[in-house]
Amino acid sequence: MSADASPDPNADASADPNAGGDDRVADESSAEERGDPLLSLSGVETYYGDSHVLEGVDLDVYEGEVVALMGRNGVGKTTTLRSVLQLTPPREGSIRYRGEELVGRETHEVASRGLGWIPEDRRMFGQLTVEENVRVAVPDADDADAALELAFETFPDLRDRRGAKAGDLSGGQQQMLAIARGLVGDNDLLLVDEPSEGLAPLIVEAVAEALTEAASDTTMLLVEQNLPLALDVADRFYVLDHGTVVDEGDTDAVSADGERLRRYLSA
Amino acid sequence: MSASIALAAPASMASLAAAGPALPLQFADALIEFLSPSTLGEVILRGIAEASLYVMIAAGLTLVFGLMGVLNFAHGSLTMLGAYLGGLVLVAAVAQSTGGVGRLLAFGVAVVVAFGALAALGGGIEVGLVRPIYDRPPLYQILLTFGVTLVLDELARIVVLFYGLQPTTVWQDVLGTKPTFLADSIGAAGVSVSGLELFQILFGVATVVGVHLFLTRTRYGLFVRAGSEDSEMLSALGVDVNRVFTVVFALGTGIAGAAGVLLAWDPAWGASVPLAAETLLPAFVVVIVGGLGTFRGTVVAALIVGLVDSSMTWWFQNFVDFTGLPEMVVFLVLVITLIVKPQGLYGVSEVGGH
Repeated sequence: MSADASPDPNADASADPNAGGDDRVADESSAEERGDPLLSLSGVETYYGDSHVLEGVDLDVYEGEVVALMGRNGVGKTTTLRSVLQLTPPREGSIRYRGEELVGRETHEVASRGLGWIPEDRRMFGQLTVEENVRVAVPDADDADAALELAFETFPDLRDRRGAKAGDLSGGQQQMLAIARGLVGDNDLLLVDEPSEGLAPLIVEAVAEALTEAASDTTMLLVEQNLPLALDVADRFYVLDHGTVVDEGDTDAVSADGERLRRYLSA
Repeated sequence: MSASIALAAPASMASLAAAGPALPLQFADALIEFLSPSTLGEVILRGIAEASLYVMIAAGLTLVFGLMGVLNFAHGSLTMLGAYLGGLVLVAAVAQSTGGVGRLLAFGVAVVVAFGALAALGGGIEVGLVRPIYDRPPLYQILLTFGVTLVLDELARIVVLFYGLQPTTVWQDVLGTKPTFLADSIGAAGVSVSGLELFQILFGVATVVGVHLFLTRTRYGLFVRAGSEDSEMLSALGVDVNRVFTVVFALGTGIAGAAGVLLAWDPAWGASVPLAAETLLPAFVVVIVGGLGTFRGTVVAALIVGLVDSSMTWWFQNFVDFTGLPEMVVFLVLVITLIVKPQGLYGVSEVGGH
């Protein structure tokens, strides 16, 4: 899809013969080089009760890359992550991780295969201390001390507050703790949901820095509405609209102002 | 019933009226007597002993509700089963000639057996009955556990009748297995307390310490506390929340069973089928006053209810000649709590669960 494509934000990319044409060919050729995807969603349809939220989502995430999942509020970005984790299991479609089908598995089984979740609203255990929040995320209790050291090295602010209740931390510190919890979980793929939401610009910078550092050795599927942050951290992107993927490509192919994507992101 | 109350009330009022102007003086005397070290000491120790029993019967209820959001109406019946099961072990193991230490050892075995059997039963109930309806509204879980109560109570009634015992009266043989030193009073510094009350305090303190250590020092305890706040997030961190639920349900019912054995030695309670309802009501009072789902709240509420009850019992026995009232005071504490702080002393607006 080119930057001067149809301005209609609701336009279906597949209906536009030019939509994503060159980019997708380029993606396919690079996909061959990359081998099998780490995570692959195919025809995923997810409902909340009678509400049809994901209407056939297809996307791939390859080992070592950061993929941004973008789109306006309510288009199904968070639901996509919840579907991968089987928190909201899809009714149709397939979700494969390292070639293994995840649909039908329990959430803890999915997570223990190396998928970490850094959720939108941080989901701290507010009555537990910072240290306990990290400990609970470590699969093997013997690794807890090393995990704590990793968390505190990444976010020195947390070291000073290790005995404080997570519920008493500032929004920025809670986000750091949420990311730390994802990092110590021995995860190969992090599902990160709106890490910059509700944070002051200075904190967003720190979060972006931490995510970039984390991305150096972890694959990431990142839901983010902050376009500069998403383009900065991600290698590729998918755009969701009305529960389907309407655009995808390399972030390098998007101009710095993100004009190509902006029409899908603004309300 | 109403006629007896109608008759009793004027009689009691008449006795108060007869006291007439002397009443303030009597009150002053009673207050001085109540505040004397020996009386106050006895009232406090009796209150702590009661609190120990309340903690024992309510701990499992609050753990299960805190983690799973399930109000287990079968909890009292599980306590009752523990009383009978422990009683069975005690009656079988203790002979006339068995000494005090032997009887205490038999009690230990009875507690282990009741804890193990009830934990297994609780685990079975959680996996087989409660788990399939976690995603339903709370009313389903209440109706289910209430149904379990009816079934367990009726089964116990049938079995007890089959063995020629009277289900509604206390199983006296079990009371007879108690070491004599537990029936004696122990006095120190003018304070006299029964051996049984001290035993109950020790047992209650051991339970509180045990549960506290489990919650704060073990990895499973960490999962329980985390799951009480957000079980979905816990499962997304790779923890098998269903297994944690089963373990906690089993632990809760196991403690209920152990509490039953302790109650089987107390003549004020004793092993009987109505023990199910008799323990469920105060357990609910304590759990609600403390705040649904908080163990700390349950411990504090048990102390408050126990001390208020023992104080009121003294006042109603020594100043107002109407011994039926102290039991109502427990429920008065509940009513006042619900009016002043509806979420309980340490309660939060939401607890865990699916």
